[in-house]
Amino acid sequence: MNALGLVLLIATPATPLVMLALCGSQARRDFLSSCLWIAPLPALGAALMTIGGQSSAFAAPAIGYTLFIDKVAGVLLLVVAILWIGAGLAAARREARDVRFSVCWMLTMAGSFGVFVAADLLTFYLLYALVSIPAFGLIMRNGDAASKRAAGVYMAFTILGEAFLLAAFALLAAGEPNGSLQIHDVIAALPGSPWRDGALALIIASFGLKIALVPMHGWMPLTYTAAPLPAAAALSGAAVKAGVIGLIRFLPFDTALPDWGEALAAVGFISAFYGVAVGITQHNLKTVLAYSSISQMGVIAAVMGMGLASAIPGTALDSAVYAAHHVLVKGALFLSIGVAAVASQKYRPLVMWLSAIMALSLAGLPMTGGWLAKLVVKAPLGDGIAGTLADLSAAATTLLMLHFLMLLARMAQQSPQTKTQVAIDASWLALAISSVVVPWLLYPVVVGGLGEALTASAIFKSLWPVLFGAALAYGLRPWDHRLLSVPEGDIINLMEAAFRASLRLGETFERLDLRLRQWPAATISLGIIALLLAAAARASR
Amino acid sequence: MNAAPIASASTAGGSLLWLAIILPVVGILASLLSGGRHAERIALLLMPTGFGIAIAIAIFLWRSGQPLVYVIGGFNPPLGIALRADGFSAVMLVTTALIVAAAGFYARAIFATPPGITEARAPLTFWILLQAIWASLNLVFLGGDLFNLYVAIELLTFAAVPLVCLDSRAETISAALRYLLFALCGSVFYLLGVALLYGAYGTLDIVLLSDRVSSEPVVWVAAGLMTAGLLAKTALFPLHLWLPPAHANAPAACSAVLSALVVKGSFFLIVRLWFGVLPNVPHEAVSFILAALGSAAILFGSVLALQQERLKLLIAYSTVAQIGYLFLMFPLVQGPNLWVAEAWSGGIMQTLSHAFAKAAMFLAAGLIAESLGHDRIRDLRGIGAVMPMTLFAFGLGGLSLMGLPPSGGFLAKWLLLKASIEAGRPIWGAVMLSGGLLAAGYLYRVLAPALSSDILHLKAPPRRSREAVALALALTAIALGFAPKAFFDFLQIGRVAVAGGSS
Repeated sequence: MNALGLVLLIATPATPLVMLALCGSQARRDFLSSCLWIAPLPALGAALMTIGGQSSAFAAPAIGYTLFIDKVAGVLLLVVAILWIGAGLAAARREARDVRFSVCWMLTMAGSFGVFVAADLLTFYLLYALVSIPAFGLIMRNGDAASKRAAGVYMAFTILGEAFLLAAFALLAAGEPNGSLQIHDVIAALPGSPWRDGALALIIASFGLKIALVPMHGWMPLTYTAAPLPAAAALSGAAVKAGVIGLIRFLPFDTALPDWGEALAAVGFISAFYGVAVGITQHNLKTVLAYSSISQMGVIAAVMGMGLASAIPGTALDSAVYAAHHVLVKGALFLSIGVAAVASQKYRPLVMWLSAIMALSLAGLPMTGGWLAKLVVKAPLGDGIAGTLADLSAAATTLLMLHFLMLLARMAQQSPQTKTQVAIDASWLALAISSVVVPWLLYPVVVGGLGEALTASAIFKSLWPVLFGAALAYGLRPWDHRLLSVPEGDIINLMEAAFRASLRLGETFERLDLRLRQWPAATISLGIIALLLAAAARASR
Repeated sequence: MNAAPIASASTAGGSLLWLAIILPVVGILASLLSGGRHAERIALLLMPTGFGIAIAIAIFLWRSGQPLVYVIGGFNPPLGIALRADGFSAVMLVTTALIVAAAGFYARAIFATPPGITEARAPLTFWILLQAIWASLNLVFLGGDLFNLYVAIELLTFAAVPLVCLDSRAETISAALRYLLFALCGSVFYLLGVALLYGAYGTLDIVLLSDRVSSEPVVWVAAGLMTAGLLAKTALFPLHLWLPPAHANAPAACSAVLSALVVKGSFFLIVRLWFGVLPNVPHEAVSFILAALGSAAILFGSVLALQQERLKLLIAYSTVAQIGYLFLMFPLVQGPNLWVAEAWSGGIMQTLSHAFAKAAMFLAAGLIAESLGHDRIRDLRGIGAVMPMTLFAFGLGGLSLMGLPPSGGFLAKWLLLKASIEAGRPIWGAVMLSGGLLAAGYLYRVLAPALSSDILHLKAPPRRSREAVALALALTAIALGFAPKAFFDFLQIGRVAVAGGSS
């Protein structure tokens, strides 16, 4: 550990907060929009140093906040920082004029970096709340009815997730015999803890909610559809990874837990296919990408589930590498929507081709970053049924991504000719190119050589899901407009209706309150309580 | 950790305890004598002094690690009267000094004697009663015998009730009367219990009594009566009939003091009773009842807060709910178990953070009501843009109520939750978590529209200094979330181990 590493580690979550504090006065408000893309730089530095072999740890004296960074965090932090820079540049031009938006952006960013480097339960909880709650302001930005609804639904899920997580952490802490709150210690003690099952259930529930595993996924399509594009890019690429790092950090991968692992994998695969099945019925580009996120996060959950089921070594890093690929691609694809809408005739092929590469990269098209990502998770998934399901999910993703590309092409063609003078968006281009290049740079450093993966037969094995998905897409074309029309967020409507119905309970309580607050009722209560307490004192003897 | 059975001699720094009580009393007398606009000056002058004394008591306590004792006039109990300060008393003294001072500085704009006249009724009453509340609270926190504490709690009630109806509107007078009558019922119960104990044991000194009492019928009846009486004054569900109208209709500065401090006074005495006077009387079933009522308060108060149309009523019902949390510590502070210290710290942390958070929220709500001329929640759209500092203070207070980090409310919830699991009673933890969800719900109802981009016009912008007072209180609630371990050690000073109850 050296001094620079330590400084960068602290600066990773602190820089956005400090910059925000410095921009407090009215005079420096203009500077705030530049901060949007400057603030991630220390995180980028810290990530690069870690991938280069450094690891750092930090403990704040007295108040007990602790940070540490390892390779798993480094991989994710690197791409997350790149995405925040790219999305920040994109947001700086328009959305950041609203101070509330910029403030929420910086807070979300601080939390988004922080969760990767938190070393103890309380620090993690604080930073996790930071990446989750202020995002409300990003979703609300447009201020219309749809974004208000989306923000409300998002908040309900988020607060529920926070409650689950607090319960999980209390169980984890109670299960650690020496009173340590370090994540490393509590997870080491978890397999032998009397509260193991409760803790695991709550961990999976709270982080599963964050990564929108079915059936807790309804908020995601609403949210990404309502948020402005740069915010959707940051949320779908970066913020959602708080759930991924949560699962990576808090699942005890060193101990084989077949029941829990297989259950998680099952939920993951269900989400992977469900996301595609509903996604292809959608006609809003942002909604389609949101369903693709549900599907992709499902695959990651399945990978972790299989790793947990048989304690496969390296599962944490493998999942992180797989998730890292999704960060840049999904972020850049969201920005593609905005770019394609205004691209002139001249740039349209570039936009479409790059988008196509990124989209099919998600499906694992050979020689793309997604292909590398899928190679990495071969070990946890294995050759059995999980491996086959993963291949089928790649085919399904191909189907969904071709649906997306067709919608994108249609929109690009319809875009008004008056926009022809608009130059190509440099932040999008940079992000798109890095989504293609970064996996290739990362792979040799983090994983190693490609070895047999480059042989023709191996490449064909990775190609067939894509071809199968393409064939499926071709076959389904005649039915394109005959597919069932599913509202965005599918089951969320039912949940909202149930929630509203539960509010009626309040009126019953109100009537009861009116009765209890009558004089006779209150004095009788007082007498009864005195008697009860006296009786209880006797009973306690 | 058990205190000596006969704490006869005054300890070093003991005379500070006497000073902490006498200072506001002197202030009241001086205010009465000099009258008019001097009352305000005297009160505001004494507040920083009183804060200094409270801090000095805390320092002495921290240095010695033992409770401070002062025997008045040198006559030992049972003949004389002793004052005692433990960790809980000391933090309550400091909190009271801070919040009373904050309310005082905030109230200057409303309760200034108008120029040209020498004396106005409302201001004079306010400044004198504020000091009276302060004096009686200090006596509650330091009093070493049960009769003394009866006097303190009566003074507290009589000082608090008129604060509700300073503006003498019909509805505030009816709210104040409701408060007064029910608090008197509570006093009767408490006094009956005290008389029974005196009859049985011949002393009311807490330390002497704790040594003499045993689990027998007279103690059961006395404890039941005293606790029920104090619960009435604490407004624990279902004895909350007086709280919402009183706290919601009082002037904001008064609501802040009533909600943050006055209900905590009687709560403090319940803690004193069971953990100071009766630690040797097993009371697991009693604790269960208290925690069950507390749970009901949390769920009921929060749901009612969700239903309210007015901001101040929402905050008042939130107090009904938050009082419930205080009682969840009772079943967890039983026996010589490892988690007892955690639960004790959690309970006190909840008391402190709720005090600061709620005071901040009432002051912020007062500013909103003054600037808009109303406090209807549905007409608060866009208030965030025109009163950002006020809303920030309100929001930070809300953060602590919801139990989100970083805040004292979060730490309190964390400690109590952890203790409830370790004690094998996760039900109390589950109640706490659902209370947090409901709190998020009722705060969302205020904050989401407040942050919308609608345009809102103020009748008059709030004064910066008054916004700063509310914000400072809210920031204190947040700062409690960073309390170091030493702070929790401090809270344990003088805690008496409770008999039985190992599970």
